[in-house]
Amino acid sequence: MGLGKVHSWKKVLAQLVLLAVPTALFFFYMLWDVNRFYNILENNWIRQGIYFSSGLGAAIIFYAFRFRFISTATIVFAICYFTYKFLGGLTIGEFDAFYFSIQFLIFTILFCLGWLSGFGFSRSRYFTIGWSVLLLVTQIVIVSKTTDIKVETLINAFVPVLAYAFYIIYTSELIRNMNEDEKHFAWFIIKRLSGFGVIVLILFLIVFNILKNDFKAVEKEWGNSQADYNKGKDSESMTQKDKNGGVSNKDQTKLAGSLSKDKQLIFVAHLDNYFPDGKTPNPLYFTSCYYTKFDTLTQTFEIDSLMPYNDLFSPDPSRIPLYFSKIDSSVIKNTFATKNRQVVTADIYKVALSATNYLAPSTGFFCQPLSVPKEYKSQYKSVYRAKMWVSDLNSAYFIYNPAGNKQLEAFQELRFEKLREVKKISGPDERFMKYYTFMPKDEEYKKISVLAKQITANAPTMIDKMLAIRDYFLSKDEFGQPLFKYSDNPGIPGMPSANKLTYFLLENRKGYCAYYAGATLFMLRSLGIPSRVAAGYLTVDRSSKNPGWYWFYADQAHAWTQVYFQDYGWMDFDTTVPDANTQQSPQPDGTPPLNPPQTYLVADGEVVSVDLAKKQISMKITKLLYHDKDYTTAPAKDLLTDVSMASITADTGTVQLSAIKQGMHITAVSYAEALKTILAEKNDSVAAIIEKLPKPVPVDEIKILVKEEIQALKKKEKEMMQVPTDWFRIIKIFLVILAAFIVFVFLSPWLIWIFINAKAKRAKTDAAYYRYRAAMYYLNQLGLTKSELGPQQFAMLMDQQYSTHFNAFNNVYQKLKYSTVSLTASEQKTVQEFYPAFIKQIAKQTPVKTRFSRFLNIYNTIHYFTQPKIS
Amino acid sequence: MEGTIQIEQALTNIQKLVDNIEKVIRGKRPQIQYVLTALLAKGHILMEDNPGTGKTVMAKTLAKSIAGMHGSSGANFKRIQFTPDLLPMDLIGSHIFDDIKKEFVFKKGPLFCNLLLADEINRASPKVQSALLECMAENQITMGETTYPLEKLFFTIATQNPIEMEGTYPLPTAQLDRFFIKIQFGYVDEVTELNIYKDYLGIQNNLENIQQVLSMQEILFLQDQTEKVFIHEEIVAGVRNIITDTRKHPDIVLGGSTRSGIIFLKCLKAFALVNGRTFVTEDDLKQMAVPVLDHRMIYRNKEAKQKALAMILAKELDRLSKLKITINPTAFAH
Repeated sequence: MGLGKVHSWKKVLAQLVLLAVPTALFFFYMLWDVNRFYNILENNWIRQGIYFSSGLGAAIIFYAFRFRFISTATIVFAICYFTYKFLGGLTIGEFDAFYFSIQFLIFTILFCLGWLSGFGFSRSRYFTIGWSVLLLVTQIVIVSKTTDIKVETLINAFVPVLAYAFYIIYTSELIRNMNEDEKHFAWFIIKRLSGFGVIVLILFLIVFNILKNDFKAVEKEWGNSQADYNKGKDSESMTQKDKNGGVSNKDQTKLAGSLSKDKQLIFVAHLDNYFPDGKTPNPLYFTSCYYTKFDTLTQTFEIDSLMPYNDLFSPDPSRIPLYFSKIDSSVIKNTFATKNRQVVTADIYKVALSATNYLAPSTGFFCQPLSVPKEYKSQYKSVYRAKMWVSDLNSAYFIYNPAGNKQLEAFQELRFEKLREVKKISGPDERFMKYYTFMPKDEEYKKISVLAKQITANAPTMIDKMLAIRDYFLSKDEFGQPLFKYSDNPGIPGMPSANKLTYFLLENRKGYCAYYAGATLFMLRSLGIPSRVAAGYLTVDRSSKNPGWYWFYADQAHAWTQVYFQDYGWMDFDTTVPDANTQQSPQPDGTPPLNPPQTYLVADGEVVSVDLAKKQISMKITKLLYHDKDYTTAPAKDLLTDVSMASITADTGTVQLSAIKQGMHITAVSYAEALKTILAEKNDSVAAIIEKLPKPVPVDEIKILVKEEIQALKKKEKEMMQVPTDWFRIIKIFLVILAAFIVFVFLSPWLIWIFINAKAKRAKTDAAYYRYRAAMYYLNQLGLTKSELGPQQFAMLMDQQYSTHFNAFNNVYQKLKYSTVSLTASEQKTVQEFYPAFIKQIAKQTPVKTRFSRFLNIYNTIHYFTQPKIS
Repeated sequence: MEGTIQIEQALTNIQKLVDNIEKVIRGKRPQIQYVLTALLAKGHILMEDNPGTGKTVMAKTLAKSIAGMHGSSGANFKRIQFTPDLLPMDLIGSHIFDDIKKEFVFKKGPLFCNLLLADEINRASPKVQSALLECMAENQITMGETTYPLEKLFFTIATQNPIEMEGTYPLPTAQLDRFFIKIQFGYVDEVTELNIYKDYLGIQNNLENIQQVLSMQEILFLQDQTEKVFIHEEIVAGVRNIITDTRKHPDIVLGGSTRSGIIFLKCLKAFALVNGRTFVTEDDLKQMAVPVLDHRMIYRNKEAKQKALAMILAKELDRLSKLKITINPTAFAH
């Protein structure tokens, strides 16, 4: 039996290139998108895309031959299904082929989907519509899975699928209607496709042009917020980069397949905290934020601004004028910590750390930006002084995971003895307890709970339970190997919607700090112990040369667990098992910067005028710091400053004097010895102090701030307020365009008629041809199709129905077209006079309503222009 | 100048002929045109339908119109009723012993005529059928060593009953191919039917008193004029497309041959002339395609028989109707 072909090779090629390739590309995109939400797919979207494409391509080629669909597809699906069943039941030694059968199942589903769509493209006319709807629905499901729906999310999700749908429906119809034997085949395709492309392009250009401002706003909003450069990878970093390249801790941390770290120096800190001997430096972990919430869907730790008794002080040091301070003592109150607490000072010298970031050990409550000493300007971007409410039980030596270090264990006993006194698990109130012991209700978390109870069965007190958990991570298996290992690349479970924490705890037992902290957190919470995860930097005292100075590198970004003890407040615990690699290669520390010089005068105010020649700035000051005493003045006072020696800095670094413009908000700092002796009297006002000062006042440092930032802040606020309205506007405009498009579609028969009619009326040469075609178009649009009649038969039929003279004209037209005989005078006259009378006569005999409704029918128009095809 | 006059003369003659036949055959104008088309194209026609639809009357009327009852200028009309026991000799003739001359002389059979009505051709045995069809193709009869040419004007009107009827020997496609045109005679519409009933006596009278309107010479002249009908090169290309499409069509097992294409062209020209034109149009293509081609095709199934050719034709007519006016007078100007 010979295999009949349904399509010519040209058509198959056109289907492959114009339908299959875009579909495959779109499917790659969809799979990439879907992979973000379904762990089972394991981010193998390229491979999965290839599965789909192979099914698609094979089916298109296969069904170009005269094969029956139901029987062949049944065979293909049955082969796939039984192979899957076989693989599922297969056991090779102790090795279960389950994983492979799951992989094969994915292959099967995608391949069969490709096969089905291949058949659809090859044989079924209405397939593309169903297919587009299916993809749109899939996209809607994906969008509904996204936690933060923004304008860009919607655009990313729906623009490609809509464009694809338009394209695929149009192109498949085009290929279906094409005349295979047409000589100008390529031209035929290119002409129509480019026409379609132009329409789509114009459509999108209009959308983008109208929404330009909105897009810009969205873009800015996106740009100002912290960009996630790790988007799309299943890799996680404990830190993130902002637009200026500054590093900061993230406001959320996802449990991911791998952790990326580098050796970049982030900041240097001088911590004024020593053991009671007064000499031995006492390092403290630096806290950036607290993760109190865990999103089970994305398995991400998050900051919750609604946490009860907010004890997180997070000012923006770049917005505080130099030497002025910001204090928030409410955070101290909110710690409810009274025992073993003291105030400690730290100076933080930022290197790569973001200018807006504030880091401090434990509970910071004070922030004072300082100026960087001149010699170190190139090395450090900015400095601030922080004061913290610190428990001496939170020394890094207490927190470190001893991992078998006997000396450390013995030392830590001191702390544990104290904390053992806390017998009762309690917090300030019920809300607090409920919040910090919250656990998702899920089978997976019950497993954690069971494990936690098992581990801590013999631990009487909170601290013992905590230690039991810590020791569990350090325990060894029956072969004497450590049960848990540290790994930056723990991998992700290959099971459907597997919980990464239970995977880590019960199966994989490899992970980085976020895994250990998260697992500890839920074990503690399952025991009813209030706890949370802290993120920040692990402190390592590496050198004895510079006591109190600590260097922080990117790989020290860390997460650990905090437990609430009545009266002692939040206690830090690090349950992360040591990573052999980082321990072996300590970072070389540099030399610490000298202390900033003694400042005598700090003036904060607006620039009135800048004299570039004399290098003088006249400013109106509102705040004044003189010999460490703070003055404010209600009406701003004038101050003339000499800036010839001053270094001028903005947030981004050193700038020229010319960068200072009138109206800017600046802080002028003076270390001038001349001011050392000019002391202020007890009751001196600002005006009185200014009187005493030399004119102009020598100034050593000027920092530009606020003014710009206020604007930026306002802008940002404005943009944030605009965002919700954007949404509706985009939908509205999209709907308007859609409506316009629909109106255009319905109007097109009429527009085409106008064009054809005009041409018929005006044509000089080939008038008969254009008139004949126009008459035919008009009749066709009114539903009077010629169908299989010959021209003469049709003309006679029309004459019968409408008593016109179509046949006479048709005879002349046919004569003109197919004979060499020239027309007689009367025939010429027929050509001249027939057309307007004919249209008028037809219009007269067709009711307006009928004409109107028929002219809305685009199918008639399509029918007019499509070539009939064989079979 | 003479040419134009002759053409006009020819067109008038044809009109005369049609009008004459219409006196007897009511409501069958297309069929009359097809018969005349076959006559002018120097071919033969096969009419198929149930008994009693007027096939035989049609043939008789035509014969009388060109042959007349008496008169030497008229054409010679013969009729053979085909039966299962008919022998080839009954058609061709046979050698008979002449008592006077004492030798065998050839007694010509009914085939030696100008106009032959082969009635119910499919009731005869295949042997007889092929004998007749052979003569139609060769235009001569060979008997023993002697070859006898047929008349210069030799036109066969064959009729047959639908193949499904009992007692028929269906003609194979190869033999059907000998007929230029095969038409379904069909019943007349209800109004015409009533008119026929009312006036059956008049019709019978008309048939008996039918006048000869054309001489044989005039028929031969018309056949010559047919060749001079102008055919546009796009129409020729259209014929080519239709023929090649039938070969490619998946539902047609056997498509059109080159010979059938040539026959198609001849018929188109004749049909144009029958319709009073000296050039071929799309309408001719549309109306001639099925009568000329349909009986030459072998279709995959019944459904295909109804659709395949119509689709091919629709596609070609669409192409032609969208063509701009391009006249190339040098092409095919015979």
